[in-house]
Amino acid sequence: MAVSAATYKERQFLAVIGDEDSVTGLLLAGIGHVTEPPGSQRNFLVVDSKTETSEIEQAFQNFTQERKDIAVLLINQHIAERIRHSVDAFADPFPAVLEIPSKDHPYDPEKDSVLKRVRRLFGE
Amino acid sequence: MEGLFFNINGGYVEGIVRGYRNSLLTGQNYSNLIQCETIDDVKLQLAPSYGDVLASLSPNPSTSDLASRMTDKLVAEFKYLVAQATGSSAKFLEYMTYGYMIDNIALLITGTLHERDTRELLERCHPLGWFETLPVLCVATNIEELYNSVLIETPLAAYFKGSLSHQDLDELNIEIVRNTLYKNYLEDFYNFINTHPDFSGTPTQDVMAEILQFEADRRAINITLNSFGTELSKLERRKLYPEFGKLYPEGSLMLSRAEDVEGVALAVSAVADYKAFFDAVGMSQGGGGLGGMGGGPADGKSLEDLFYQKEMDMSKLVFTRQFTPAVVYAWMKLKEQEIRNITWIAECIAQNQKERIGNFISVF
Amino acid sequence: MSGAVGREAVFPTRQSLGLMKNKLKGAEIGHSLLKRKSEALTKRFRDITRRIDEAKQKMGRVMQIAAFSLAEVSYAVGGDIGYQIQESAKQARFRVRTKQENVSGVLLPTFESYTQEGVNDFGLTGLGKGGQQIQRCRETYARAVETLVELASLQTAFLILDEVIKVVNRRVNAIEHVIIPRTENTIKYINSELDELDREEFYRLKKVSGKKQRDVAAADAEILAARQKAAEEQGKNPKAAASPALFVEEADTVDVLGDQEDNDVIF
Repeated sequence: MAVSAATYKERQFLAVIGDEDSVTGLLLAGIGHVTEPPGSQRNFLVVDSKTETSEIEQAFQNFTQERKDIAVLLINQHIAERIRHSVDAFADPFPAVLEIPSKDHPYDPEKDSVLKRVRRLFGE
Repeated sequence: MEGLFFNINGGYVEGIVRGYRNSLLTGQNYSNLIQCETIDDVKLQLAPSYGDVLASLSPNPSTSDLASRMTDKLVAEFKYLVAQATGSSAKFLEYMTYGYMIDNIALLITGTLHERDTRELLERCHPLGWFETLPVLCVATNIEELYNSVLIETPLAAYFKGSLSHQDLDELNIEIVRNTLYKNYLEDFYNFINTHPDFSGTPTQDVMAEILQFEADRRAINITLNSFGTELSKLERRKLYPEFGKLYPEGSLMLSRAEDVEGVALAVSAVADYKAFFDAVGMSQGGGGLGGMGGGPADGKSLEDLFYQKEMDMSKLVFTRQFTPAVVYAWMKLKEQEIRNITWIAECIAQNQKERIGNFISVF
Repeated sequence: MSGAVGREAVFPTRQSLGLMKNKLKGAEIGHSLLKRKSEALTKRFRDITRRIDEAKQKMGRVMQIAAFSLAEVSYAVGGDIGYQIQESAKQARFRVRTKQENVSGVLLPTFESYTQEGVNDFGLTGLGKGGQQIQRCRETYARAVETLVELASLQTAFLILDEVIKVVNRRVNAIEHVIIPRTENTIKYINSELDELDREEFYRLKKVSGKKQRDVAAADAEILAARQKAAEEQGKNPKAAASPALFVEEADTVDVLGDQEDNDVIF
């Protein structure tokens, strides 16, 4: 497995795609980061019922492919559900994509991309 | 004397509010609520007071939806009162909304500072803090324009003038701006009820002075406690204390010098009520510290809770007075607390955290 | 089975036979080593999968508690702080650094969370009211995020190990089912070719020696005839008998050498 040190040495931030409460909470924990202007980018996206799926998709691509400083991407499970194919298709080890529960949507292990693989390996 | 003519202008409003007051939830209602298993049950229990607004909600709505519907109802009722009020009562009600306006303006300032589209923020603004010229502020693209529009367009101009320049908006933390405005607002409100010919020497002055003093003290104490460990200097901190209240001036001075929780406890010890609060949460004995502040005492009551409790008690007592628009203020506070209570209970039920469900403040 | 994999394109020489034998030995050692590596990794992998499963369940609870603490904040503040929080976020206080762990020669990254000192974007949030709840909420969420980071490490390790195990197993299988049979095949081929060559050589030598014997026999017969002739002539001329005896002497020597050569070739 060719994971050279350079690919993850500068990865030090967490990113989050989530509903307002999840994002607020995680930002309170101090994960929020806005890069220096010009072209400042935020490492979080608030998704509500009005957010277009394409926007989520774009943010997902941005966090996983374009930005090289993100180590872990947290995404609410019900939002991951909306772009499930992208999440399932993403198999790189960096950044780690982690599906988290949200306040209104309790965690369902059945839907988790990684957990699905775990289950499959155990032949359940 | 005031009883003689008050009802000519203010009687209807007061009557309506007393009617509203009767629909506030009682201890019996609350004990029914905490037995609920689902949000739908909560909805059902709330039917007598909120049935009309909650009926259209989808089954098992989120707690935030629930809260926003209840707030809508509160706003609608308040707007009705505003529409009915005349003369000095109308002015009084207007004063009540300034606090929310400050929050809205702070929101817009934040948005403008970060060059967001402030129009999106309008829907996040608190409806009670809405004023006709609020959308005008969204036209401003930089902070200086915004500052000028605030001065021209809003009723809050007086609170900006003299204490905040447009550079301040840019440089100071938004929380400092907000609290500066709030301080000016409280002082102005206090001044208003004490000097306005319609209110001075009436029950309004009595009760509102007490409530506002409490509010001022509470803010001063909270600001002090919350500023520990932040970059807020003592000098800046002192500027945020409202210049009235039971703690003013000696207590405020001591607060401004306090360096830790014990210092705060010492500063407020002159006022029996606050001293009792600090004793109750165990902050005055050295063991307090930041940990104690965060964790709260064993029975789950934090200082904040005790302050709320006190506020509710005072609001409840306001209804023993007659011929005053202060009942509107009190009703408003009670109603807000009620919405918070319901949201809390709903949250506990939704998240299956029943052990903390009793942590609300029941007034009646 | 062995027929399907074919053989390597080599000249059937003794040298390449030696090479192939070495190769086979190497492949067998490599196979057993890789097999052991794969087993070690699989063990680790199973361990990690089990821990992921547990951690994911735990995360559900932790996040719920965290969400609840946020509910406490909105209770205390009595309003929405989301927007303000989003806007005042500037510098990440909570960051991760990546370290490496060596499992049977595979470098697994592990995330480790740390707090950037001196960064505090929300120090003044809730200054007027709710500051204490916000403080508490921050701590709760920070703990929750630590759990998440831990889970993220596990998950990354899971993905990398999964990949590595696949590669290793592929190699093991390749060695077991392709390289070893093919090498064996090649050895067999070389051996059979060499045997064939040997037989050819033997036959050729046999042929040569047979021809030589025939020649010798013919020569003998000639000599014999010559002797008889000489004997007959000796009766007439005894002086001439000395030179034919010398011829016989020479022919015998040649014959003996030829025989010896033959023996050598056979053994």
